[in-house]
Amino acid sequence: MSGKSIAGPPQNRLGPGGGRLGFIFRSRVNRLRPAFAGAALAVLLTACAAPQSRNLLREQPAHIPTRVELTRTPFYPQEQYQCGPAALAMALGAAGVDIEPERIVPQVYLPERQGSLQMELLASARRNQTLAYELSPLLDDLLAEVAAGNPAIVLQNLGLSWAPRWHYAVVVGYDLTAGEILLRSGREQRQIMRMHTFEHTWARGGHWAMLTLPPGRLPATVKEARYAQAAVAFEANGDSEAAHAAYAAAVARWPNNFTARMGLGNTAYALNDLDAAADAFRQAAVDHPDAAAAHNNLAHVLHQQGHFAAALISARQAVALEGPLADAARGTLAEIEASIAANRAD
Amino acid sequence: MKIALKRMTSQALIISILTLGSPLPYANAAMIGTAQVATENAQADRERVLAFFAREELQQQFHALGVDAQAATERVAAMSDAEIARLAGKLDQAPAGGDIVGAFVTVFIVLLITDIIGLTKIFPFTRSLR
Repeated sequence: MSGKSIAGPPQNRLGPGGGRLGFIFRSRVNRLRPAFAGAALAVLLTACAAPQSRNLLREQPAHIPTRVELTRTPFYPQEQYQCGPAALAMALGAAGVDIEPERIVPQVYLPERQGSLQMELLASARRNQTLAYELSPLLDDLLAEVAAGNPAIVLQNLGLSWAPRWHYAVVVGYDLTAGEILLRSGREQRQIMRMHTFEHTWARGGHWAMLTLPPGRLPATVKEARYAQAAVAFEANGDSEAAHAAYAAAVARWPNNFTARMGLGNTAYALNDLDAAADAFRQAAVDHPDAAAAHNNLAHVLHQQGHFAAALISARQAVALEGPLADAARGTLAEIEASIAANRAD
Repeated sequence: MKIALKRMTSQALIISILTLGSPLPYANAAMIGTAQVATENAQADRERVLAFFAREELQQQFHALGVDAQAATERVAAMSDAEIARLAGKLDQAPAGGDIVGAFVTVFIVLLITDIIGLTKIFPFTRSLR
């Protein structure tokens, strides 16, 4: 940011309505000279360049196209204070979930704060059958997701750190040659913003971005542990079939991921597919022989399938591993032994 | 007195939870849930303990911020332990994305300048330089 841009006469650079604002500007400047100078200094001090944009635009990365626009992302103009529900409805729509922002309001809006919290957008995305995934704080990743067809909800502070104006928008495109980013924001369906300006507003929002993914779809910039955590939170929402799809995608990508494999088994079990559940737990026990949970759950399923002898072996392995799950394992073992004893008595 | 008692009880609970392994919502479950499998590390343990105590408080805070009681319960229930832990005690400062109508003159001018420079984007009529 050069000094020249501040020194230049701002009223000449304004769009429509610039003349009138220029007048306000001149009449106030004299009285507010100290404040103005202070503010200008503060601006100069904080006006460091937007580093991620600079690098990105200079290097023009080869792994993403130069220009992308996700035209099929729906648009809902926001009502007052309702950028959260509007942004979420747009992202959900892109993921194939048609929902009006008004129906999201009761899930995320905090009346006294006149806005919505990030955590609630994540939770509401899950309540509406999509997997909520938070991105790394990298512009590169954000654009890579958009390039892969995943519009991202971003938190911006459109104001300043000491005069914040928090706002959610949806990134639906970018143009590296022009150095611009394309947003569905507020009442604008196609807001074109300079990449640098966007980065400043995004940085003040903590570089926060999230995706709402259809179950079973992995983010383009996916990180293993973060995805597993997102899938667990998704499962807790109660839709076992959707969660099963999310875990299946994770297992396909990382066959050795213990959480994903256990989730695959647990959701299969919840769907009453005992064979699939047993397969998943058996694989988990083979890949992670020290994991008591895998042996315990396998024992439980085998027991339910009537394979008492095999169940007994697995339950004993779970108990032998001790650790924090030992109580549960002993419970499973006791149940199996009771069934065997009852069987003998018959 | 009441607060001291409350603090003592919660401290006792925290200690018992941490020393007895991690039996919180999972005691005597025959099947081990995925959440429990996924949280076998120290940080996740802390989050679980924190979330255990913070959930009810958060529900009350949501209620105080204008959400009806039933909806507040559902909304907090939809958050993961890690999310609750991130929000606990920080609800006042957590950014709530909405929008703010009107700003006083000084702020207006500063924002006008920063808009023009391209640091902020408040006014629809500004176009940043460069």
